[in-house]
Amino acid sequence: MTGRAPWPMLAGLLLLTAVAHLTTGPVAIPLAELPDHVIVHAVRLPRLIVVLLAGAMLGLAGALLQTVTRNPLAEPGLMGVSAGAVLAIVLAIIAASRIEGLGMVRDTGWHLGLAGVAGGMLAGALTYALSRRHGVSRPVLLVLMGVLVAGSASAVTSMLLLTADDNQLRLVLHWTIGSTNGRGWVHVEMLAPYAAAGLSMGLLSAGIANALQLGDGVAACLGLRVEPARLMLIFAAAVLTAGAVSVVGGIGFVGLIGPHLARMLVGNDARRLFPAAALVAALLLTLADLGARSLPLGWIEAWSRSPVTAPSGIPVGVVTPLLGVPFFLWLVFAHRPRA
Amino acid sequence: MQGLAAAPSRARLPFATLLGGLCGVLALTLLLSLTRGIVPLPWTEALAALADPRGESFAAILVWDVRLPRAGLAALAGASLAAAGVLLQGALRNDLADPGLLGVASGASLAVAIGIVFLHAAPTALPGFALAGGLGAGVVVLGAQRLSRDPVRMILIGAALAALFSAMIVLVIVLGNEFQLRTIHAFLIGSLIGRGMSDLLRLLVLTAILLPAALLFSRALDVLRLGEEMAAGLGVNVFRLRLLLLLTAIGLTAPVVASCGPIGFIALVAPHLARALLGGADAARVLPLAMLIGAVLLTTADLLAREAVAPAELPVGLVVTALGAPAAILLLRRHLAP
Repeated sequence: MTGRAPWPMLAGLLLLTAVAHLTTGPVAIPLAELPDHVIVHAVRLPRLIVVLLAGAMLGLAGALLQTVTRNPLAEPGLMGVSAGAVLAIVLAIIAASRIEGLGMVRDTGWHLGLAGVAGGMLAGALTYALSRRHGVSRPVLLVLMGVLVAGSASAVTSMLLLTADDNQLRLVLHWTIGSTNGRGWVHVEMLAPYAAAGLSMGLLSAGIANALQLGDGVAACLGLRVEPARLMLIFAAAVLTAGAVSVVGGIGFVGLIGPHLARMLVGNDARRLFPAAALVAALLLTLADLGARSLPLGWIEAWSRSPVTAPSGIPVGVVTPLLGVPFFLWLVFAHRPRA
Repeated sequence: MQGLAAAPSRARLPFATLLGGLCGVLALTLLLSLTRGIVPLPWTEALAALADPRGESFAAILVWDVRLPRAGLAALAGASLAAAGVLLQGALRNDLADPGLLGVASGASLAVAIGIVFLHAAPTALPGFALAGGLGAGVVVLGAQRLSRDPVRMILIGAALAALFSAMIVLVIVLGNEFQLRTIHAFLIGSLIGRGMSDLLRLLVLTAILLPAALLFSRALDVLRLGEEMAAGLGVNVFRLRLLLLLTAIGLTAPVVASCGPIGFIALVAPHLARALLGGADAARVLPLAMLIGAVLLTTADLLAREAVAPAELPVGLVVTALGAPAAILLLRRHLAP
């Protein structure tokens, strides 16, 4: 597979999924009416853009971190960035509802986006600082400290939820699992600066990433200043993750699977891997979002013999592992090392 | 073989001192658990009540019906989790392995969530759901892992299936109403609030065989630590041994999750603490030390959970994380990058 260029196929699939995403929903819109239908302009197009951008950002962040840590299990949540962002958003939701009075809980708006990015970057900086010993960050420590920082941030989030009211509890749940429900143009505007900065920084640093992949020693012999280079890649990954999470919440699995799939398609060269990872992850998240909107709730209703309400829709963060895990297991089983 | 397996080259404290010291600390925390609380009990009175299980006095009822079961449950749960951690880290030859990789906690939580939302289960039935779910999920994960003989793959498979169970929990939660969501959240956070003698006895029965049995694995763990080829060369069926270790770990974890909910960090941190204190990895010494450390950690955390915001209580799972994360950060930084 590695030899052929998969770009036309990827682009075609992405286009197809995007059109399907725009046409399906509670109101089916025929293809001919697509360009000037009011629902498309007001609701579906901004949501599609948010999904595409967030997917691409998470995919590229995963690829960056897998390269930096030289660990195939690395994903955007690794640095504690996602958990930190979610914690900050939860704090902001609770603070805002205290200020505005009971019952006034809003889960969107600029202040949440800013809080999310700030919290995510702070957690990422803490992880990086903890991974340094004697002036050099160690990839092993980066992974471990990320797990611990993320675990602590999630624990604080749980602690806050103990005192939250029911309305806040449900909202916060959607943030921790990740959801694209009700995302509109304002969210596109919130996402755009981080997407532009992070995507360009990540894609341009592919050459450096290639050198780092060879190991610290070899990279240094190639004339690379290893520590600043690693910090730059980590920073790009943190910007991408924090930006995406602050708009759609902590969506998992896309950032892990996307890079792996991309690697199967284009190989390990970061100059091809990074754009491919972004495209594949964007495709996956769009598919998952499509799935989240068309889950067969009726079956569950019939089985449990009780009405299923799902007041705010199925969050897409539920669907990504449901689709992603079986696929991931297939990957693990299909690629046995030759004995 | 003895020379290879037991290599406590840089022992910091003698094993007997450590063992005795930890037993003392555990006894002290247990005594504190009996005396401290909303109604303080002088320790003389607490000890007198302890000697009188059928007593009708207030102190005897308080000690035997409320405080002793809870403290005992914490100690036993901590020891079981720590033992499971040692077995898993040895079996998978990975310092980061913990029972989360076996899907036990997430499977138990999923069963509880399904019980609450779809089957409208009574609160008293929930431990049964959790136990069944935890064991079932453990066996499913183990079955999937069995297809692969490579420990890295086994970890990947376990992590992926645990993520799948977690996603299904959220799916169930999203379909439920607010009240059900709160009940599930209370289970998910891990707590010892309101646990009584029946919970302690259930855990005691379920772990009475497995906890001593875990100690019998120490020789096998030492051999596995030499590497797979070496272990095979010494005549060990590595594949079967690994399954046996994982099965024991599942059996140790599932009853704990059923009575206390998912409690993280202890299984991960206690083995590391034991190895750091001991200055070696000789499993015959690490296992009992880790069990004691786990028991001390969970009883201390429970004491803090009860005292920190009295008369209210914190869930012990949160206190464990609050204590465990900084400890693990300090420990691992020193241990892995000297």
